[in-house]
Amino acid sequence: MSRAWGANGVPALSSGARPDEVRRHNRAALLRRLHVAGPCTRATLAAELGLNRSTIKAVVDGLAESGVVTEAVPVQRSGAGRPSLMVIPDPEAAAVLAVDIRVEQVAMALVGIGGQILGRHSWNLHRATRTPGEVITHIAESAQLLVEEVAVPARGVGVSVPGVVRRADGWVHEAPNLGWRDVALGERLGAVLKLPVQVANDAELGALAEHVRGNARELTDIVYISAERGVGGGVISGGAPLRGTRGYVGELGHIPVRPDGRPCYCGSRGCWETEVGEAALCRALGLPESSARGVIVAELRSLAANPMPGPLDEYVEWLIAGLVGVVNMMAPEMVVLGDLFTALPGPVVDHVRRQVHERSLVSRAIGGTRIEISPLGRDAKLVGAAELAFEPVLGAV
Amino acid sequence: MTQPILALRGVNKSFGAVQVLHDVDFTVRAGEVTALVGDNGAGKSTLVKCVAGIHPVDRGEIFFDGEPVHITSPTDAAKLGIEVVYQDLALADNLDIVQNMFLGRERGNPWMLDEAEMEQAARRTLASLSVRTVTSVRMPVSALSGGQRQTVAIAKAVLWDSKVIMLDEPTAALGVAQTRQVLDLVRRLAEQGLGVVLISHNMADVFEVSDRIATLYLGRMVADVATKDVTHSQVVELITAGRSGELGLARPEAVTI
Repeated sequence: MSRAWGANGVPALSSGARPDEVRRHNRAALLRRLHVAGPCTRATLAAELGLNRSTIKAVVDGLAESGVVTEAVPVQRSGAGRPSLMVIPDPEAAAVLAVDIRVEQVAMALVGIGGQILGRHSWNLHRATRTPGEVITHIAESAQLLVEEVAVPARGVGVSVPGVVRRADGWVHEAPNLGWRDVALGERLGAVLKLPVQVANDAELGALAEHVRGNARELTDIVYISAERGVGGGVISGGAPLRGTRGYVGELGHIPVRPDGRPCYCGSRGCWETEVGEAALCRALGLPESSARGVIVAELRSLAANPMPGPLDEYVEWLIAGLVGVVNMMAPEMVVLGDLFTALPGPVVDHVRRQVHERSLVSRAIGGTRIEISPLGRDAKLVGAAELAFEPVLGAV
Repeated sequence: MTQPILALRGVNKSFGAVQVLHDVDFTVRAGEVTALVGDNGAGKSTLVKCVAGIHPVDRGEIFFDGEPVHITSPTDAAKLGIEVVYQDLALADNLDIVQNMFLGRERGNPWMLDEAEMEQAARRTLASLSVRTVTSVRMPVSALSGGQRQTVAIAKAVLWDSKVIMLDEPTAALGVAQTRQVLDLVRRLAEQGLGVVLISHNMADVFEVSDRIATLYLGRMVADVATKDVTHSQVVELITAGRSGELGLARPEAVTI
């Protein structure tokens, strides 16, 4: 099962073609395997890609010649005979810029082959610095600093935005929590950085990150749900991202769950986001709604010993209600909880797991949807943005 | 809402005839970056050294997690979980990263150190901070750049499960790009729920990373404000004049004679 996404979000297809195309295809496939799953022997590559050893040798030799991979004798030998050489990608052979625009801060990283973070920056956003112009200027300045510091040029840019994005040209229709509307983000960033820029919805990139580098590596049907200021969800169905009309993704955070709930800025009332987002968690904990992330994490940690029953009871009910809805709708193998949800105390997550299983007939039918905490934590969207940027780059190295 | 992780109430400190701190109140909350700013000689470093147990306080109380505590030596501070990172990159050049992180607190028994265990713990800590810029934890510290050294110093504090980390001008000796990397790390420490105190002269750094700004002026705490409520120039006025509009010291004309 290929975990790669083609340019349009459909799995890359292999079909008969001219020899040079085949070579290029094999080269990209081999590099993608090394990028996603790390160093391995030539023999493993041959087995996994279904190519014979001489083809693998030709492709690896080509990559080694251009300095993208190195080969070494494995330390641990298995079996008799001449050991197969380990093929190790060089993280600095090709790098991309990943940008994660959040409501309160922007995080940036220069990421090398294999997903290694070579350098990173971040800065807080205040009311005055949250405008698109300010953010784009700061990104351009930081990009230059990062590239100079690490001394590896970037070949592409991936950007995560908490809002509704048109994938084709990176147009941000609406990012309500940022206060952005109709921003030609992809075009403007491309103009200042002089690199190909791809922009996507943050939750969709979180799902991609979990699929490629997180908890859901071997799975094909997953839902990633994360809470920051807003709540977003990304869906991978049959190994490819689930998108709607003209490539727009749905907003799981704005499923109405509570008819008598608070009005939401989206125009509805009692959305899942208004019940389980950062503000709702602050209310449950008795903190001011604008509390810093660390304060919320510290407060949750102080509950950890014995959190249920406690101040989180009602909040957790709404979390369960939404999750049951999502599981019943999508029938995923796994739901990954990301960002702020990763700070929830362990016993609370266990309770959520049990309750969702009890209340969802779909979960019972498919043998129990797993509900897991994201191992990538706060970095999931950054990792996803890097993978988005790598897609076209790997084919061209 | 829980109490502050660290609170100072009415702290006084004199060196001979010179009173350096006058009735200073100072609060650090878990999960927030509190910037401590002030002109040279305002008492910032003295305040940090009082909390770190290097200088005993003359008068006043220190509360840690709500409990009154007496900090008389750096060991006391370390036991409570207060770690200080100094600007001069206080690491031993001839030792590698693991040896530095465990310096004075090595694991294993006296005749056989548990090198493998220490190496793993060091690697785990660096990974938990998503620090992947260091290629090997067995590199001697002398081979690291300034930013990487500062990263190791901060990781050391995290390894020891500190609750409060005080950084005394962590970026003073660093270039622009490395400063950004260290500030990024500082922010992520706070996001993990630690209380972070950042002493800095660089207003851009302070505004980029802090949640609150506490200003010392000639040994007095003149303002403790949320970063989002103040502007650059207000903070500069507080530092240089001790007041800015309604903030800070009372105006002389408002004082009745």
